[in-house]
Amino acid sequence: MISRKILTEVLEKALSSGADFAEIYVEHTKQNNISMVDSRVDAITDRLICGVGIRILKGTRCVSGSTSSLERNDLLALAARIAQALSETTQNRSVTLTERLFGDIHPIRLVPESVENRTKIDLLKEGYFAARHYHEDISQVTANLLDVDHRILIANSDGLFTQDRQIRTRMSISAIASKNGENQSGSASPGRRMGLELFDLCPPKEIGEEAARQAVTMLRAGYIKAGRMPVAIENGFGGVIFHEACGHSLEASCVSIGQSQFCKKLGQKIANEKVTAVDDGTIPNAWGSINIDDEGTPARRKVLIENGILKNYMIDKLNGRRMGMEGNGSSRREGYRFETTSRMTNTFIENGPDSNEDIIRSIEYGLYAKKMGGGSVNPVTGSFNFAVNEGYIIRNGQICETVRGASLIGKGSEILMDIDMVGQNLETAQGMCGASSGSIPTDVGQPLIRVSSITVGGR
Amino acid sequence: MNDTQFKEQVMAAAKARGLEEYELYCMKTETVNAEVLHHELNAFSSSSDAGACFRCVYNGKMGYAATERFTEEEAVRITEAAIENASSIESEEAVQIHGSGDSYEDVTPVQTREPSAAQLIALALRIQEQAYQEDSRIVDGTQSFASFQRMTCSLCNSKGLDLSDTSAYSAAGCIAVAADSGERFNGFEMKASGFDELSPQTLAAKAVEEATGGIGAESVKTGPHSIVFSGRTTASLLATFFSVFSAESAQRGLSLLAGREGENIAAPIVTITDDPFREDSLIRIPFDSEGVATRRKHVVENGRLDMLLHNLTTAAKAGTASTGNGQKAGYASAVGVRPYSFYLNPGGAGTKEDLFQAMRNGIYVTELNGLHAGANPATGDFSLSAAGFLIENGEKARPVKNFTVSGNFYELLKNIALAGDDLEFQTPRGYSCFGGPSILVNDMAVAGK
Repeated sequence: MISRKILTEVLEKALSSGADFAEIYVEHTKQNNISMVDSRVDAITDRLICGVGIRILKGTRCVSGSTSSLERNDLLALAARIAQALSETTQNRSVTLTERLFGDIHPIRLVPESVENRTKIDLLKEGYFAARHYHEDISQVTANLLDVDHRILIANSDGLFTQDRQIRTRMSISAIASKNGENQSGSASPGRRMGLELFDLCPPKEIGEEAARQAVTMLRAGYIKAGRMPVAIENGFGGVIFHEACGHSLEASCVSIGQSQFCKKLGQKIANEKVTAVDDGTIPNAWGSINIDDEGTPARRKVLIENGILKNYMIDKLNGRRMGMEGNGSSRREGYRFETTSRMTNTFIENGPDSNEDIIRSIEYGLYAKKMGGGSVNPVTGSFNFAVNEGYIIRNGQICETVRGASLIGKGSEILMDIDMVGQNLETAQGMCGASSGSIPTDVGQPLIRVSSITVGGR
Repeated sequence: MNDTQFKEQVMAAAKARGLEEYELYCMKTETVNAEVLHHELNAFSSSSDAGACFRCVYNGKMGYAATERFTEEEAVRITEAAIENASSIESEEAVQIHGSGDSYEDVTPVQTREPSAAQLIALALRIQEQAYQEDSRIVDGTQSFASFQRMTCSLCNSKGLDLSDTSAYSAAGCIAVAADSGERFNGFEMKASGFDELSPQTLAAKAVEEATGGIGAESVKTGPHSIVFSGRTTASLLATFFSVFSAESAQRGLSLLAGREGENIAAPIVTITDDPFREDSLIRIPFDSEGVATRRKHVVENGRLDMLLHNLTTAAKAGTASTGNGQKAGYASAVGVRPYSFYLNPGGAGTKEDLFQAMRNGIYVTELNGLHAGANPATGDFSLSAAGFLIENGEKARPVKNFTVSGNFYELLKNIALAGDDLEFQTPRGYSCFGGPSILVNDMAVAGK
């Protein structure tokens, strides 16, 4: 993308005012998005995202900048501007870049960019019409097929020079069911860090049917009565509970500056002993996987919580300096416009000791949250909330009627202790996680779990 | 290659390809940001990026392609890609490139001074110092920032339109962290305005008030409660549900307001305005992403739905005129429908304290979370985590948190009993900015303990 000679020059310029570290990140991303509404292909957008981010560190201070230009003069000017903002001392440090290749553990069989729109449209239609024709109450379906070919290059003043190519594909379908002036919605949106072979694994028809099934089911649901109760949260996207309630608070970006409920808690019990949680960027072709992070550190599997004990955080270089710890393959950014920081990859609760049947059977009156929606958390207080897209009442150990409008709220540190049963059907699901360094693909996951008591919002 | 040369090359490539209707939309953004932590400058960034999106009508369909590389090769590539993309479109909706002839509001840009890097750093430092001084319970983790942003949007097409607009504003904010009896609390305040109007005292005081105000908060009893939503939370509800007023959503069956123009859909005190030229806003844009002149209008007037927001395509389908709300979510996206300064008008019921008196007993909600997940514009349902204060006998009694407020936006519009005189705006996102006054709504479903 940019010659090693120019990269060296730019890094040396960036170091010229006394920084102890300089880094250049180059991005070249192609995105293609096909969308359907009203049973027709409605829009196709095609986009090339291309630019450079430069940052320098001096201790725990960071100065950064970005530009959409790849021209040598513009890059040198940006490096000079960044150096000037630091202006400590003048120094002449030379940089020697050595190329390092970390390999690719995510084979791609059908590179989306090389496939014609026509083929992608056929796949999308298969999913679209499976939803449209699912039931007479389905009044609208929107669907889109997104493929991303994200190439990155990272070079830094420690001599690192490396590149990666990250291809990912995702189909999202959402269905609306309507009756008597009322709407309910359902959605399904599987994705993988792979090409169009994704659809051998996740047939489009099943994606469409799942979205429609949820919408039709929810149209027949009554509102849940609010209150505190035990909740059984199903696998897959149910893992959003851990992502929100705990994952964000274990990112060094908030731990290092005292904005996390889990600051200085390494080695302490923060969860029920049945809980072991992992962030693993090395799972082949998983949605949140990487070969290297956005600082060029190879992806790793990190046990965050083991049998309830806090073992590790997700750490990037800058926040690692604040904490006196090394980066562990967790530094991520959406692209060159964003400053990289510690983020999750594929984060999930491991299988536990309880059988799924026992979990449901153990609840006299409570909620079975079959499909979770998204949520958010305040990492300082740990307060989180998330939506239940498809819920059922559990009565006397049996799953009974469907309920709508439920949300779960609580505090991360409390719910981790209250996860008192962990089942055995671990599965992951895909999300786009938004934070200061942009929107990045992450997997959430867990087996069926029971939370002994939590506030369920409703009517 | 500069922007003008690139524009000329794209126009030439489109013409050479035999296209008749085509357009290039460009967005350029410059941002400078200073962040302060632990009493010193922690991060400083300066970015400048630009993107261009080409679209054309080919065999009656609209195709799009975008790039951030302004080279001759890319000028040709986006032209070809847009044609290829147009060839696969099946939508029967009438598409067009807008011609000249509109008269555009003369939007005299507000004279905003571009602060120097040193001024931004100094402001961020002052905000943080002020936050520590406000209250002894403020601890490390407290963060502040000051930034400057300039966006230039330009549009040039085969029908002779050649428009450009630049908006700029400064913003500053504070995340205050307070500690009390081993627990931590935070408060956030941010303001976007001209640089000279940013007051470190006010920003720090508000963030600290929010952080310390939550100390000792407990949950509330589950059941129906009357609620006063603060101006900020009214604005965030409107921001979450604005798409119910979009004709695009309505035509797709994603808004229950479809076909209800002229009907009463809200309480008589509800007037909702969309204003691209709002006086206090630093973002005033005379044309939308299709080059149509923008204008100020009431969407809901005294409870009656006057109109939905349209772009050229939705207007053609409905047999009406575009309201100038054809907006892209980002420069590379297809044209959708978005508002400008979109706000619920103050209702003359006095200060928020007057609303507390009118409510007598209930909850003053100052914080709503989970809006991107716990709210669904297609159904209108929401179930959101909230924090605020218990109001007893018309007075602020104690802080409350960890409860949810649930309801339906369409019903909420009908149930707004009173609206205060205040009007608070969120910080702008792109060209959209949402606002509202404090409002009193009776009988909301609350889940707590």
